[in-house]
Amino acid sequence: MDNEKKKFMKKSEIFTFGIGLFGVALLTGWMPDYTQTFFADFAFKGKGFDSSVISSNISTVFLVAGIIGAVMELITGYLIDNTRTRLGKVKPWIGFGAIPLAIIAMLVFVAPNTNNQTFAIIWMYIVYSLYTTVGCAVERPAECFGALCSPEPSERSSAISIASFMKSVGQSGGMVVVMVVGILMKAFMGQQQFKNAEAQGLDLIISTAICALGFIIFVMIFFINNKERVPFTREKVSLKDAVKVVFTNKNLLMVSLTKLTGFGRGVYGTVSLYIAIYLLGSKDLKLALLLPMGIGTAVGTLLVNFVLKKFSTKQTFIIFCVYGASTLAILYFVATGIGFRSALIVPFLILNFFCGIQHGNTNVTPNIMIADCVDEIEWKTGKRQEGTAYAGYGLFAKVASACTKALGPWLLYTWSGYLVSTDANVAYAPQSDPTLNKFLMIYTIIPAVFVILQGAPILFYDMVGEKKDRIVKELMERRAQAADSESTEEPETAEKNN
Amino acid sequence: MAENKKEFNTKVYGIFAIIIVAAALVALTLFAYTSRYTALSPEKTARLYVDTIVQSGDGYNAYKNSLLSYEGKFGDFIRNNYIYPEIYENYKPGDSTKDLKGLNDKELKGEKTLNDDGSLQGKVTERMYGCFLDLVRENNGFDNYDAIFKAYISELKKVRKEIFEDDYFDDEAFFTTFEANLSKYGESLTGCEDEFDKNTGVQTKEAVKGKYQELFGDDYEIKTEAVSAENADIPDIGEYGIDAEIAEAKTVKVNVLVNGELKLEGIEITVVRIGHSWYVANKSCDTSSLYKFYNDEM
Repeated sequence: MDNEKKKFMKKSEIFTFGIGLFGVALLTGWMPDYTQTFFADFAFKGKGFDSSVISSNISTVFLVAGIIGAVMELITGYLIDNTRTRLGKVKPWIGFGAIPLAIIAMLVFVAPNTNNQTFAIIWMYIVYSLYTTVGCAVERPAECFGALCSPEPSERSSAISIASFMKSVGQSGGMVVVMVVGILMKAFMGQQQFKNAEAQGLDLIISTAICALGFIIFVMIFFINNKERVPFTREKVSLKDAVKVVFTNKNLLMVSLTKLTGFGRGVYGTVSLYIAIYLLGSKDLKLALLLPMGIGTAVGTLLVNFVLKKFSTKQTFIIFCVYGASTLAILYFVATGIGFRSALIVPFLILNFFCGIQHGNTNVTPNIMIADCVDEIEWKTGKRQEGTAYAGYGLFAKVASACTKALGPWLLYTWSGYLVSTDANVAYAPQSDPTLNKFLMIYTIIPAVFVILQGAPILFYDMVGEKKDRIVKELMERRAQAADSESTEEPETAEKNN
Repeated sequence: MAENKKEFNTKVYGIFAIIIVAAALVALTLFAYTSRYTALSPEKTARLYVDTIVQSGDGYNAYKNSLLSYEGKFGDFIRNNYIYPEIYENYKPGDSTKDLKGLNDKELKGEKTLNDDGSLQGKVTERMYGCFLDLVRENNGFDNYDAIFKAYISELKKVRKEIFEDDYFDDEAFFTTFEANLSKYGESLTGCEDEFDKNTGVQTKEAVKGKYQELFGDDYEIKTEAVSAENADIPDIGEYGIDAEIAEAKTVKVNVLVNGELKLEGIEITVVRIGHSWYVANKSCDTSSLYKFYNDEM
């Protein structure tokens, strides 16, 4: 039982794992939104292209990239599980994929100087699909690393928790970069010259270069300092095994299903601008709305680690779901109680912080559960399949995200009865009280329902308690035996090589 | 047993990767920067100045590449020289507005200003469009910006007071109205297509045929090209009221082509270099012909 408490990772490794995920998120968190902005507003500015053709193609570029990303999830997972090198199975993907990813990300922001609209459109498809493909081959292994950083579940959980926190910070890092770049450009160029440069998207280009540089530095720190501490299994994983494990391992499937059953949690994002305008009185408050929620999410990500010390992953997940649904319901009742007036702003923003805490759970706990599922799969089949397990979860997440993107606008523009302004001088048309109430429901009650639904599959999750302890113990014994037999076989192999 | 397999050196690889990527990023950023940023080239600066005007009659935004914008944003130039003197009594350009009380005092906002959802501002914009057109016509374009801004702001104050029934006036009132007029003027040349709200499909704007389309066809194409750049005498910077040293000056000739045919030849634009950046010396340029090739009334 001493093995269970044994520390496998150096203290610095826990930190540099987080640094690595921070670096990956710094670039991959920056890319989608700013690429869309760059393609739409700057890439071919002044070329006289038909803006409606360009913008409809941009939507399709991202749709195609989404499909490629989903396919690449599974392919990458399968390839990871069949990678066996002296560096490990995941590290080579991160270390060697980082160079092309950084350069391709930069190339996305170096648009060709062409007057040919068709060529410009083809370029957008190719460069962004290429980015998505290479991005998937680095981002997914980086997430898988959590399952390999330590064979000891509690040490692994702490590492995943800290790394998830740093990842969530990294995802917003690009916003800080673009802000600092803007300040520096203004200082060096003067206000108007900065404005002129900004109008050409040059601040985005420089910010991308900085994010890409940060990415390579942080990922290389991770690559140099971190080791895979869980030995990979020798058995080859077939494509059939890979697909099978995603859909037939009950616990893994339940964790993945949380994404699908909870897909509507994110619809609040669609309505946040309208909440700021109609319920709080100013569109400038959109940022103020998202900030407390973002801080709440970061606090929640750290808080999960403490809750996990007292409760199992299953209990933690359910506690946070109940808490999340409750805070959203409270927010709804407080808002309807106070009414849509300026007095609502402060309580609304404070409650927003508390609503954000639940997101920490969805950032961390499933990743820890998947690592536990990988142990269970190895215990059952003798094959360790981190790649496939995380890829399966990622695939479900992508499908859920597509559903959220479809549901959100439908709720907002159809179900709520939203009226669009047809007067060029009036930006936002007045809305009826039932519509305003539905805006509030899209922000609170509807996500609350999905938060509860998200917790439902976890009721059937059982990789906890005595079962988990037994599996971990038996796996450690198996690995020790395997290590012993390898060391006795090695002289023979060495002789053969000689 | 001696280790006969060479370990992969992750430290060396990591440093190599950082250096390679940093070099590639610097090269790509420099390439993108120099190819996009116009102020590094006299030809690009001059061509952009002409292009901004001919594409949509926008002599206002063209000034953002001129010496008027050397010391700050072009918007600040207008604030300091034309708007603040109308807002604050005895204001002189360059004075601090920090402790001044003027027409932008919130207490002067009447009920109509406080409750406007954009409809009344729309009326102001509509009324001011006639004034805008007259000023552009009378001054043969935007070269005489001083006369345009002074007359426009003076009229705007009157119109705004009449519609909102209060004395409140701020810089936003000018920028919102003037830029809306400028946009409408641009659309009167280029035309515009039907617009629909992307989420609800409701039509928000109706198509209008522009003067360029009437004269040059629906799929007209206007292009500008810098054809030569020659050294020029350094203009008197004192006229611009800025503190800087001009390193060199050039006269760039720019041609305007419509549907591939030469429409205007050799528009002379004087540009000056301060530090590494080039600016249009707008007071040495005559852009009136850029507003005439489609407008017989001018």
